[in-house]
Amino acid sequence: MAKRSLAEQLDEVLQAMLVSLRPRPEEAPDRNLAALMRVAQELRELPREEFRATLKSDLQRRAIMSEGAAAPPARTGKAQAGAVHYQRPGLTSITPYIIVRPAAQFIEFLKTAFEGVERMRMPAPDSSIMHAEVAVGNRAIEVSDGNEQYPTAPAAVHLYVDDPDAAYARTLQAGATSFYAPTDDHPSGDRWGAVKDPFGNHWYIAKPRGWTPRPEGLRSVQPYLHLREAHKMIPFLEAAFGAEAMGVHKSSEGAVLHATIRIGNATLEIDEAHGEFQPMPCHLHVYVPDTDAVYAQALRAGATSIETPQDKPYGDRAAGVKDAWGNSWFIATHLGR
Amino acid sequence: MEAAQSDPAKFDALYELQFERVYAFVATRVRNRATAEQLTSEVFHRALANLPGYEWRGVPFAAWLLRIAANAIADQFKRAAREFPAPDDPPEPAADLDLQASEIRAIEHRAQLFRLVGQLPEVQKQVVYERFVEQRSIREIAQRLGKAPGAIKQLQLRAVQNLRAQMAGGHG
Repeated sequence: MAKRSLAEQLDEVLQAMLVSLRPRPEEAPDRNLAALMRVAQELRELPREEFRATLKSDLQRRAIMSEGAAAPPARTGKAQAGAVHYQRPGLTSITPYIIVRPAAQFIEFLKTAFEGVERMRMPAPDSSIMHAEVAVGNRAIEVSDGNEQYPTAPAAVHLYVDDPDAAYARTLQAGATSFYAPTDDHPSGDRWGAVKDPFGNHWYIAKPRGWTPRPEGLRSVQPYLHLREAHKMIPFLEAAFGAEAMGVHKSSEGAVLHATIRIGNATLEIDEAHGEFQPMPCHLHVYVPDTDAVYAQALRAGATSIETPQDKPYGDRAAGVKDAWGNSWFIATHLGR
Repeated sequence: MEAAQSDPAKFDALYELQFERVYAFVATRVRNRATAEQLTSEVFHRALANLPGYEWRGVPFAAWLLRIAANAIADQFKRAAREFPAPDDPPEPAADLDLQASEIRAIEHRAQLFRLVGQLPEVQKQVVYERFVEQRSIREIAQRLGKAPGAIKQLQLRAVQNLRAQMAGGHG
């Protein structure tokens, strides 16, 4: 019988090794075979490439988010002084406007789960809620039953609270379901839990760990947008609202792992939709110095109009646009009347 | 090290340096791919969380990581023993890391081999992953790569020969 090639010999013993069988004895094994098999033995433990890459990106996400959280305060000129003339008192540059039904029950949820304080409620003629404001921490959430123009749209919100474990427990008592209980192992480095409330909103309930909030205090409420092609949202917000990306962290493939974006004196967060955290087009209320200018900029940046700028009876000049991801932006300037 | 402490984003540079070492250490002790991955992940997450507390007290960073790994493995054995107690359970490995020089050499050797796989010509690397990690048959790999089975066996041989030559070179 002709002597078999080294490639054949190696494959036979290798195959036996992989299936844990004893190979048939080679009549006159190649003298290099034993040394090659020692290498092959060790290769059985070779880590998966995908695991190596995924773990790396998880760690990057975690390292980066804790870095972003500890970033120094942005200089925002007038915004540093606290109340800004073009913003309605009690609101900041960005406020989530959550339209869910029944809004009255949702307000009760905010009170129970997050110690929300109802500041205002304007009923519609049919006794639904046209508009309400609930203070949560040092920020606010606006609430409505909505209408045809502004339909129901649950949102995702990142909340900083004093005691995330207690808040998490209260959300569950109030009917929320858990994504996960507060953990110190969240990529942000913060203590962080996540729930979905009975109205479909996501709440990411967190407390800073290992960093100190800015002198003006934590931003208790930050809208969190999970987006497809999230990287395209950043130039849109820059062009439409003069936003500033405070920290954009991407995977090696260019997907946004996390970004914090500032408009005026408030921030929102975005990331590439993943897993259970899929896009939830929502409504956002943005106070700007000049509604007409921002409305025009937003259209040039690719948004479509919901309503043109108008003076509203409640003392704001306001307009509405929809971005390419389906989020509605109420653009407003408080006229101080 | 200091770079990673002051800028956690630089942690990924450390990861590149240390991944194979930690994985080799863990995989040598647990022998189960899923568990090895879970523990390796745990080690790096713990390390990242504790990075600000890491102090240079004559303990090199790699040794610090392996100590975290040894603790993670010990915890894992305890968990497994609680969940599936068996009379012939092996004794718990000590969390104290007292590696013999020969063990350290073996871990370094294996880590170096893992790194070298990444430097193989692309198609040889593919064959190595398909064969050793995915444990596919020669026939299956041939189909996936659109080559004849004989060619795959040759690529497999070349890859292992390359690795062996480079490992021997690396050790003088």
